[in-house]
Amino acid sequence: MKKQVLFLSLLALLAVFVVALPIAAQDPTPTPMPVPSATPALGSFGQGGTQISFVNGLSGSDGVTLNGMIEQFVQENPDISVQTETIVWDTMYQRLQASLVAGDAPDVVVMHVWALPQYASIGGLLPLNDWIGTGEGQIDPANFTPLALENASFGGTIYGLPLDFHGFGTYVNNDLFEAAGLDPSQPPQTYEEYVEMATALTLDANGNNPDDPNFDPTNVVQWGTTTSWMRVVFLSALAQNGGRNISDDGTTVQIDTEAGRAALQAMYDLIYTHRVAPPPAGFDNWQSFAAGRIGIMPEGSWFRNFATIDNPQLNWTPWPMVPLGEEPAVWMSSHLFAVPVTTTGAQLEAVRRFVTWLSDNNIAWADSGQIPARLDAQAALAPETYPSNIQFAEAFNAHGVYDYPALGWPEMVARLDAELDAVLNGQKSVEQGLADAQQQMQEILARTG
Amino acid sequence: MGQLSTPSDAGLIDINRQGSARRVRLSLKTRESLMAYIFLAPFLFFFFVFVLRSVVFGGWISLHRWPILAPDKGYVAFNNYVSLMNDSLWWTALQNTVVFAALTVAGTTVLSLLAALALNRPLPGQSFFRILFYMPSLLSVSVVAIAWSWLLNTDFGIINYGLQLLGLPKVNWTGDANLVLITLSLVTIWWGFGFPTLVFLAGLRGIPEPLYEAAKIDGAGGWALFWYITLPLLRPTLLFVTVTGFISHFQVFGQPYLMTNQGGPGRASFTVIMYIFQTAWRFFNLGYASAMALTLAAILMILTLIQFRFGGRRVEY
Repeated sequence: MKKQVLFLSLLALLAVFVVALPIAAQDPTPTPMPVPSATPALGSFGQGGTQISFVNGLSGSDGVTLNGMIEQFVQENPDISVQTETIVWDTMYQRLQASLVAGDAPDVVVMHVWALPQYASIGGLLPLNDWIGTGEGQIDPANFTPLALENASFGGTIYGLPLDFHGFGTYVNNDLFEAAGLDPSQPPQTYEEYVEMATALTLDANGNNPDDPNFDPTNVVQWGTTTSWMRVVFLSALAQNGGRNISDDGTTVQIDTEAGRAALQAMYDLIYTHRVAPPPAGFDNWQSFAAGRIGIMPEGSWFRNFATIDNPQLNWTPWPMVPLGEEPAVWMSSHLFAVPVTTTGAQLEAVRRFVTWLSDNNIAWADSGQIPARLDAQAALAPETYPSNIQFAEAFNAHGVYDYPALGWPEMVARLDAELDAVLNGQKSVEQGLADAQQQMQEILARTG
Repeated sequence: MGQLSTPSDAGLIDINRQGSARRVRLSLKTRESLMAYIFLAPFLFFFFVFVLRSVVFGGWISLHRWPILAPDKGYVAFNNYVSLMNDSLWWTALQNTVVFAALTVAGTTVLSLLAALALNRPLPGQSFFRILFYMPSLLSVSVVAIAWSWLLNTDFGIINYGLQLLGLPKVNWTGDANLVLITLSLVTIWWGFGFPTLVFLAGLRGIPEPLYEAAKIDGAGGWALFWYITLPLLRPTLLFVTVTGFISHFQVFGQPYLMTNQGGPGRASFTVIMYIFQTAWRFFNLGYASAMALTLAAILMILTLIQFRFGGRRVEY
């Protein structure tokens, strides 16, 4: 009988473990664990008779900024009301696909430039060429860089109106820099300088740096840097080493090349040779940066609200990029407004006014951390309020590298992601991972064109 | 009144004629069968409309190149199945799925059987324990995955914190390729062992007490009682738990999707359903995804038949 009671008690302990222990251990470590403010999934703005439905994936703290802009729009346009649905990107694209099949798509959506070919190629989106021009009620194309409009097009037709540029920059922790005797206002110019800084910033539990013979790599309490979102850091590094993901004629994947190997080797060495970055699996970049455990973190422009609003204690400086090659280059993308073909009549006219208003007031979107797509909005950014936006905008405009605008790109990068993950977590060599990625991506490119 | 009665051994039909009206009297057996079909009809209707029709249509889709929204859906015969057999990612995903399902079914079955055996004793607080063990099953996969992700977090998780207090090294629970499937399996066992515990408990309550009493008179000990009476008589329950367990855990999706960055590290926890989901809903290739889904269904059917072949013998007592 005693054995049964003991066994049941142990099982009971296990059953309540998940619920009870986190409550009992309010602060298991002396570091904070902040969570980004989420955007409400559903929103209803205004009382106007013409109602438009708007679906997007801006579910992090950036969506809060967008909802503020919509609130302003309906105040100025009382005849229109806006119903928003904000869901994570993956789910948003599935919802869009299913709703197009059902003939019940939302009136307007936000999508990425890489997703546009998938939907435009199957006739799912309305051409927006009429919305852009120098005539009355049109948006002046001179407000955008040619590259921005090119990436909003498919087959020569414009299907998207650029909302922003977003991409990768770098955030550095000023306090850790000062403690290490480094100047955060002086970004490294070469890979060697980057490694040197990261080495000074990496500490084990005994305060040793990786170049100290007593350094304990199994008990690191502060990392110099991280490989962050591996794919986009790799694509940045590929371009920095003079490479390009797909050949200019669109027929050949160029990942397993000298430039590709140099790019991935630079990332790999940060982890396993210089020991200044953690293996990525199981490592939480955002929480670690917020907890003061990372010195230099490559991260997206969307990180701004997390660093400023959710973690006002953070003392940080933006850098445009980290050097993983010889040439300046950084991955970037863009959010676009797109209109499903099912939108017609009064809704279509209301959507046009809505999108035009958001474009005309594009500068407000800078609060999200993203770079307004409109050049006039970029020029009006105040340096003291938007230091990261301005630095990143300069880098994107001068050295930005887009994803490849092909139908099969989402499938290709899913394969690339897994191979990079395997390499940087020590499961495959750089050569093997790139060879495998190249072979799989080439097959997809050949199949999808 | 022209009444004609034609009884038969099978008692099949009585026909009554009254003018032009004709009444058919059915046998009891036929009436019972008819009644059963009438009761089954609502289920069968929805089964045919929402399940069987979809399966058949899925089979049709799998013979085509089927980009969901594009008008051009070319017939490719069995090319999708041929491609699948040559797809290394499919085999990786299948291997991960098999390992995960085997670990989880084995762990769940053993743990829930032990819990049921303990709960079958006249212990104080039985209802409390039954409810407590069943409670995790009520949680959604998102809640389970997010809660365990925090508990297992390498740097901020309470479990690694506890290990360090004991002087042990931190464990990268979801980031170690050799450990990740075991971690996901343990989480799933915790989540789901409550239901089979109740099933086993019901099975144990169905075993006649005189069998135990007779065995005890013959000198059988605790282990002999379990091995020669409890376990053989629980075989139908065991079969039910393992068959439903394999079918359920072969379809694992939410745990790796939410806990391991969609199947990582690398492809160490990438599963078949994740591959089907990606192919259909991210890459719009429904033909290939349908071929995968039907192949998985065939694998599950074969596995279930094997389980019935070896575990489905009739229990006599």
